Formats: sequence, C-alpha cells, structure tokens
Amino acid sequence: MPGGPSLYRLLEFLGSACIRFTRTLGSVLILFAETLKEMLFPPFEIKNTFKQMQEVGIKSVPVVIITAVFTGMVLAFQTFTGFKRFGAEALVGTVVALSMTREMGPVLTGLVVAGRAGAAMAAELGTMRVTEQIDALETLSTSPVKYLIVPRFVASMIMLPCLTIIADMLGILGGYAIAVWLYGMSSALYWRRAWNYLEMNDIYGGLAKACFFGAAIAIVCCYRGFYTEGGAEGVGKATTGAVVMSFMTILISDYFLGAWLLK
Amino acid sequence: MIEVSGLHKSFGSHHVLRGVDLLVEDGQSMVVIGGSGSGKSVLIKHIIGLLKPDKGSVFVDGEDITGLDARHLYEVRRKFGMLFQGAALFDSMTVWENVSFALTRSGMKPKEAKEVAIEKLRLVGLSGIEDLMPSELSGGMRKRVGLARAIAHQPQILLYDEPTTGIDPIMADAINDLIIKMREELNVTSVAITHDMQSAYKIAGRIAFLYEGNIIESGTPDEIKSTSNPYTKQFITGSAQGPIKIEGVELKRA
Ligand SMILES: Nc1ncnc2c1ncn2[C@@H]1O[C@H](COP(=O)(O)OP(=O)(O)OP(=O)(O)O)[C@@H](O)[C@H]1O
Ligand SMILES: [Mg+2]
Repeated sequence: MPGGPSLYRLLEFLGSACIRFTRTLGSVLILFAETLKEMLFPPFEIKNTFKQMQEVGIKSVPVVIITAVFTGMVLAFQTFTGFKRFGAEALVGTVVALSMTREMGPVLTGLVVAGRAGAAMAAELGTMRVTEQIDALETLSTSPVKYLIVPRFVASMIMLPCLTIIADMLGILGGYAIAVWLYGMSSALYWRRAWNYLEMNDIYGGLAKACFFGAAIAIVCCYRGFYTEGGAEGVGKATTGAVVMSFMTILISDYFLGAWLLK
Repeated sequence: MIEVSGLHKSFGSHHVLRGVDLLVEDGQSMVVIGGSGSGKSVLIKHIIGLLKPDKGSVFVDGEDITGLDARHLYEVRRKFGMLFQGAALFDSMTVWENVSFALTRSGMKPKEAKEVAIEKLRLVGLSGIEDLMPSELSGGMRKRVGLARAIAHQPQILLYDEPTTGIDPIMADAINDLIIKMREELNVTSVAITHDMQSAYKIAGRIAFLYEGNIIESGTPDEIKSTSNPYTKQFITGSAQGPIKIEGVELKRA
C-alpha cells in the first residue's frame, strides 16, 4: 500500500494529540470543579484574595492603560484614513467605541493579564510545587486549592472586568485624541457618534467576556503551575505553557462568546 | 501507632518501594536508614498521605489513611508534624509566620502566635531571626526553622526527613537532643530518616534499613551495630567495599 506507513504515522500522531488534549481538558475541568467547591465552604481566604486582587488588578493598571490608549489611537487613525476614501470619516467615534467595548477592551486586557499575572501565578505555584511548599501546606492541614487557587481565581474574575472598564474608557479617549486633536474633528461629533450607536449590551457583553477570561486565565495558569514537574526547568516550561494556553483559550473562546453574547 | 504494610510504589517503570512493612509503636522513635535514592523520602510521604501507594496500606492509629477523602485526611494530618528534607519553607512569609502557620490557620491571634513561634525557634537554637524572610537564611537555619514549624502545633507524631543533614556537628547534636526530648517529655511517636549513623544510634529506639525497596533488617541500635547481615554491615560502617554495588563507580584498590 503506497504511503501506508506515513499515513499510519499521521493518524497515530493526530490520535495521540487528541488524547492529550482531552486529558488536559479533563484535568483542567476537575481542578475548576474543585476550586468552585473549595470556594463555597469556609474558611474564606479574604486576606489572600485582597492580596491577589492587588497583584492581578492594581499592578496591571499601567500596562492596561498604555495598551488601551494606543489601541484606541490606532483604531481612530486607521478608521479615519480608511473611511475617508468613501467619505465616512465621521463614523470614527462609532468604530472606536464599538471595537473597544465589544472586542479590544476585554481581549487585550485578558492578554495583558495573562502575560503578566497569569505567568506569575504559574511560576509561583510551580516553584512552590518543586520546592515541596505545596506538600508542606498539605501536611499543615491546609488545602492548597483553597489557600492558593481560590484567591487567584476570585481576584482574577473580579479584576478583569474592572480593568476592562478602564480599557474601554481610555481606548475611547485615545481615539478622541487622534480624531479631534490630530484630524480636527469636532469634539461634539466624536462623542455623538460614539454614544449614538453604542448599546448597553455591547458594554455588558464585553464585561461578561472579561469575567470569563479572568476565570479561564486563573484556572489555566494555576493548573500549569500546580502540576509542575522537573525542577527549575519545569517551572520555566509551566510558565510559558501557561501563557500560551491562556492566549489560545482567550482568542478561541472570544469568538464563541462573541457569537453568543454579542449577536 | 503507625503501621505500613505491603507498600508498593512505582514512578513510571521505576519500582521504588517493593512491599515495605514497618511498625512504629506509640511513643517509639523509629529511624529509617538507607542509601541515597533508596526511597526513604517516598516512604515517609506515604505515612502522611502525600503520596498514594500503588498497593498496600498505611494505618495511623488503626485507621487506613490510603483511602481517605481530603477532608478526613486533613483531620488525620493534625496529629502530624513533618520536617521536609529541603525544609520547604513558605518563601512568601516571614520566619515566624512560617513557624506559626498551623496555629494562625486554626484561629490563634497573630500576636500570640508570634510569641509561640519565637519560643519554638529558641528550642531549635535560633533567636532574633523571626522577622527575616526564608531567603535570608542559611541552609542549616532553614532546616531548623522547618523543624520549629513541624513541632509548633504540638503534634503526636513527628516525621523528620534528615533533620541533621547540612547542620554543623554541635548544632546537629543539639537537634538530636531536641528530638529525644520531644519523645521523653511529650511522648511523641516519631519516624526519622537519616544518613548520619551517629545521630541514628543516638535518637533511635529502633532502626530499620531500607534497601532495594524493602526493609531488609530492623532492630534496636545495639542489634543493628552487631548485625551479621552483610548489606546492613556495609551500610552502617560506610564502606564502599561489600555486597552493595555502587553503579558506575569503579572500585580499584591495591
Ligand atoms: N515525584 C517523583 N516522580 C518521579 N520519581 C520520583 C519522585 N519522587 C521520588 N522519585 C524517585 O524515587 C526514588 C527515591 O527517591 P527518594 O527521594 O525517596 O530517595 P531518598 O531515599 O530520600 O534519597 P536521599 O537520601 O538522597 O534523600 C528516586 O530514584 C527518585 O528519582
Ligand atoms: Mg530523601
């Protein structure tokens, strides 16, 4: 049979990739279920949660601001020059407002937080795993899921929408700066166009996505950190793996969530 | 009382424990000796339920802990204190927060917990370091902080994974005395792992020798000293010559 062995090998490769994917997905979901369970029973890790809210939220503000402002500026710039070709440059405000609230705000915030706080979560938990600190928690009758993962999960789920609100506002302001100051559009027109076509649903849908991204980043990154093996090298792998996995999760789920929430 | 029976554990194709049996009576001090990589740490982690055996069981005060769910396992672990080989201090916390972790978790006020921590640190020969971070300590100091953390909640059972490794001989002897004191005054049951035969003879009520996944000999320190088993004999005298082969090391001697 011509090409038999290589076809066979291809199928084998695809099959084992599928099995690996399913197994990872299953373990992530199990960790997620355990996190929810531990979250609902006292004691509640209030102090740790606030500390994580600071790590995930407050410390991400500067990067989120810069990302959002420049994204808004780029959107305004590209829309203005592009739409001018068919005389529709007055719609800059609308394009910036809709893009930021529905897509750019939540997705970019998610990516920024995944790269910053998510990587830190994986590295921190990974280090704690390889230096047996997670085992030590167990011996001191403390559930590592409750003590380490629940606070990160809650903090990330709360802070992502907050950061997204900041990103939405600053993106729209960045667009304003370009449209009004650079291209001399009237300020009233920019705001009118931005507001007129913006529905509350756009904002809520975006925030709901952000909330989902927050939960997904925390679970994926904690999962990679929690099950780290193989010393310092393993921690490195867990960290990059966590970031890649979060990015994929955000970008893929964004499409499906968008199609469902923001029709 | 701790009873390990028929314990098997493999990692991949590496069959580390091959049917270990070990009995530690209440108030007894058991020392497990064995070569590097023979599975001593793996054994001690099974006793506190950190690892699940492939086969066999571990009984703590008559209760099989291998099948327990998380909640019950945490209950059982309150009886235990464990010193890890690498100390495993929480590096996001100060020394005193490490030592009093179990106490503050069960509701003790920080001020009181810090006092207890300082007192426990003094027991292991450390003072004035309670506000430092673990990264600022030497290896031997970390080990002793780990020991203070293990004894802070007054457990009935103590597991020591190489308590004196990496500590100077004088301090090591002080640690030995502390371990003996824990047994004599508080009647704790203990399992200690060590390479250090001097320390083993001093603290042990019984010594068990782990070799190739099995306890091949156990007895009182005097019985072990006068053993006729060639493997045990080679190990306790620390000779490179004998039935225990060291892989990859050529032994040439005129
Ligand atoms: N989590 C693990 N995954 C894979 N292999 C492991 C794991 N833990 C231990 N091992 C293997 O089990 C064997 C026994 O390890 P263990 O740490 O118990 O040795 P030890 O007797 O404590 O040695 P040492 O005296 O050097 O501390 C080693 O060969 C080690 O590679
Ligand atoms: Mg060991």
